[in-house]
Amino acid sequence: MLEIIASSAEDARDGYDLQKAMKWFDLSPEDRDRTMQLGEISESVAEAIIEAFYEHLLSDPVAAQHFHGPDHVEKVKAGQLRYFRELISAELDDDYIADRRRIGGIHERTGVTPTLYIGAYAFYLNRLATIVLDRMKEEPDSAFPLLLSLFKFAHFDMALALETYVDTREETIRDRERELSELPTPVLQLRPGLLLIPVVGTLDSFRARALTVQLLEGIRAHRARAVVLDITGVAAVDSAVANHLIQTMSAARLMGVRSVLTGLSAEVAQSLVKVGVTAEKLQTAGDLESGIELADRLMAG
Amino acid sequence: MQVEGALGGDIQAIRRDADVISARQSGRQIAERMGYSRPDQALIATAISELARNIVNYAGKGEIEITPVRRRGRMGLRIIARDHGPGIEDLERAMADGFSTGNSFGLGLPGAKRIMDDFDVVTAVGEGVVVTAIKWMGR
Ligand SMILES: Nc1ncnc2c1ncn2[C@@H]1O[C@H](COP(=O)(O)OP(=O)(O)O)[C@@H](O)[C@H]1O
Ligand SMILES: [Mg+2]
Repeated sequence: MLEIIASSAEDARDGYDLQKAMKWFDLSPEDRDRTMQLGEISESVAEAIIEAFYEHLLSDPVAAQHFHGPDHVEKVKAGQLRYFRELISAELDDDYIADRRRIGGIHERTGVTPTLYIGAYAFYLNRLATIVLDRMKEEPDSAFPLLLSLFKFAHFDMALALETYVDTREETIRDRERELSELPTPVLQLRPGLLLIPVVGTLDSFRARALTVQLLEGIRAHRARAVVLDITGVAAVDSAVANHLIQTMSAARLMGVRSVLTGLSAEVAQSLVKVGVTAEKLQTAGDLESGIELADRLMAG
Repeated sequence: MQVEGALGGDIQAIRRDADVISARQSGRQIAERMGYSRPDQALIATAISELARNIVNYAGKGEIEITPVRRRGRMGLRIIARDHGPGIEDLERAMADGFSTGNSFGLGLPGAKRIMDDFDVVTAVGEGVVVTAIKWMGR
């Protein structure tokens, strides 16, 4: 199972392997031949099914909120008609995949949940299957394989849309994280020669480099002689973060500026000690106030 | 040793900084849910951070699995850090304080070992690294 999880995650990121996916869903050209045989029936009832579905959907006030008026409903219905037509007869190629993925992405952004999407799909498949079985009731043995092939395509489709849904969601989260991590760090002048830099959020390589640059620029701009680096807002510190902080502080030292680190919580301090980052490595003061005092003394001496 | 599924667990793909952050956040959450003290939560988060960062820095990609476990009635949190990167050539040196091929502190592995109660590394050059570490409750 682990292997499968790992490889599907791989596909999502590094491009989609159509052959592999078809094999996994046991899809073959014969399946397409079979669903095409449903083309005529499906074509004759698709619109009615979609109408019925929207009646069902719009009776739910929460779901109805997704639509901004009758024109929008008509547009979505038309899209759905095309979607189901392609499910029956479209060629399974890269364009198809791209289109299904695009739709998954739209769903994520517009708040169409997996429940809504799969529910709509189930509604359509149930209605269509019922009609097919009814119209072909003289020959049920030929109706079944046609429907089974249709179900394979439907599952393939849903998987594609959901993979994209998840990818889009992850990307949104990553973008948000990146935005957060790119928040500029403010450099505050406490009094002539003394700077305070409150660091918030996470401090990882990218952000730490930015911090060093900002600190050095702040020192130059304000002709600072001492800096207090307050990390009260930093949630976790491991040896790499400690390393970044120390490098930042020794860069300042090279410019003739003394710096003091404040705001280490008891938990963070204890973790650092356990890991082995010692107090000599970090010039620390307990709270902000004593940090400023210490910085003052360092400036004076 | 039993896996305690009901308390939740997590497998997370590790490829970049952001994954290191979310792995340690999820470790902290699981530890909190299990009832670890706040200092212990911070220790566990730090150990996860060290192991995940090594994956990003030295193997490029891998995964972190976080699972509540139970042995002889005692609860623990197990962290498995797994990658298929280059592996560690000299494990004994890598486990010593201050050894680093990455020009950093060389405290990640020995530090994580100090934090956790059980700590086991399996590695082969060219095949990757699997670190299995457990922190037992109430020690
Ligand atoms: N997952 C890994 N794959 C390959 N080498 C590793 C891995 N983890 C650690 N190492 C090696 O072990 C050394 C020590 O690791 P660590 O104690 O975390 O210190 P640091 O990361 O500061 O170098 C690293 O410099 C690296 O050579
Ligand atoms: Mg390390």
